[in-house]
Amino acid sequence: MATKSRRGLPPFLKVMLITAALVSCTSAPRETISLASFTENYVDVSIFLEHDSRGNCLLSATFTPPDGYHLYSKDIPVTGIEGLGKPTLFELAANSQITVIGELMESVKAQEPGFEPKELLVYPSGPVTLSLLIELPSGDGWIEEEIQVTYMACSGKQCKPPVVARRVLVTIPCEDTFSEE
Amino acid sequence: MNTKLTLTLIGISLLACNFLFPPPQRLAPESADFQDPQPTGFTIVRLHPKDGDLQTMLASKAQEATALGQIPVVEFDATWCPPCQAIDKAIKANNDLMLSAYRDTYIIKLDVDEWGWGDSRKHDFQFEGIPVYFKLDPEGKQTGEVIDGGAWGEDIPENIAPVMDAFFHGE
Repeated sequence: MATKSRRGLPPFLKVMLITAALVSCTSAPRETISLASFTENYVDVSIFLEHDSRGNCLLSATFTPPDGYHLYSKDIPVTGIEGLGKPTLFELAANSQITVIGELMESVKAQEPGFEPKELLVYPSGPVTLSLLIELPSGDGWIEEEIQVTYMACSGKQCKPPVVARRVLVTIPCEDTFSEE
Repeated sequence: MNTKLTLTLIGISLLACNFLFPPPQRLAPESADFQDPQPTGFTIVRLHPKDGDLQTMLASKAQEATALGQIPVVEFDATWCPPCQAIDKAIKANNDLMLSAYRDTYIIKLDVDEWGWGDSRKHDFQFEGIPVYFKLDPEGKQTGEVIDGGAWGEDIPENIAPVMDAFFHGE
C-alpha cells in the first residue's frame, strides 16, 4: 500500500511564520532620545524622551540603585513617613515650556516594606522609571529645560546619601523636531 | 514576745524602705543626648558643629569614655535613615540583645546632615553609607576599626547585636 505524502509546510516553518505574524502585530519599537544621564550618590539616573506605542510623548527618568538597594515610592511625602525616607521624584521647573498632561507614572508598583512604618512604601530592588505624559512646545528647534530629581537608595540595613531636588539641565526638541527625529 | 515584735518591726521597716527608696530601674537612653552610663552600662551622646571643633570634642569624649571604662565609638546616622532609626528604636525598647551588645560603649553620634559625608573641612571619616561605626582610641583618634550595616543581615536585633557585640568587644 502506497503511503500518501503529506503536503504543506513543515511544522517548524509554521511555528516560525506564526511567530513572525505575532511579532509584526505588536507596536514598533519606541522612539527615544536620551537627554541626560549621571550617577550621583550611587544611583544611576537616565533621563529621556520617548513616544509610546500610542504616539504619546513621555518624559521619563530611570533610576537604578546599587544591587540590593531600593528607592522609595513617589507618593510618600517629601519629608518622609515619620521623618523616614525620601520620595523618588521627577519634576519640571515651575516656568517650564512643556505642558504636563498627566500624573507622574511609575514602571513598578511600590510595596509595603518589611519593616516599620509600613506606610513607608518602597519600590522593589532594581531600576524604576518615572514618566510624565507631556506636550512639547509646538514648532521646530530645541529648548532648554530644567528638571529636578529627588531620590534616596537604602537597603534593609544601610542608606546612601539622599539627592534632593537636584537640578538637571536638558535640551529638549520641540514637537515638530521630535516628530522628525 | 519582745523578739517577735522586734522581728515584725524590722520586717515592716524593710518593706517601707522598699516603697520609699525603690531600687534604680534599668532605663534606656530617652534621647540621643542622654548621658548616664550607670543604668544601661553604656553612654550615648550627640555632638553638633555649633559645639566646637570635632577633633577637640572627640578627644574630650574619648577621655571621658576611658575614665568610665567604656569604649569610645563614633556613629554617623540621620533622622531620615530607617536602618539607623531601627537600631535606636531597639535600644530605646530595651532590647536585651542590643543592650548587651552596647555594654561598656560610649557612642558619639554625628548626624550626616550636620557633619556631611566625607566633608574634609569638618572631619576625616570616610564612609559610603549609614549607619557606620568607627572605634576611637583614648585620644579620640580613629583606630581604623569600622563597621557598617553591610556587616549584618536585615535590620533586626537578632542580626545586628551579635555583629555589634563582636565589633565593640573584639569577641
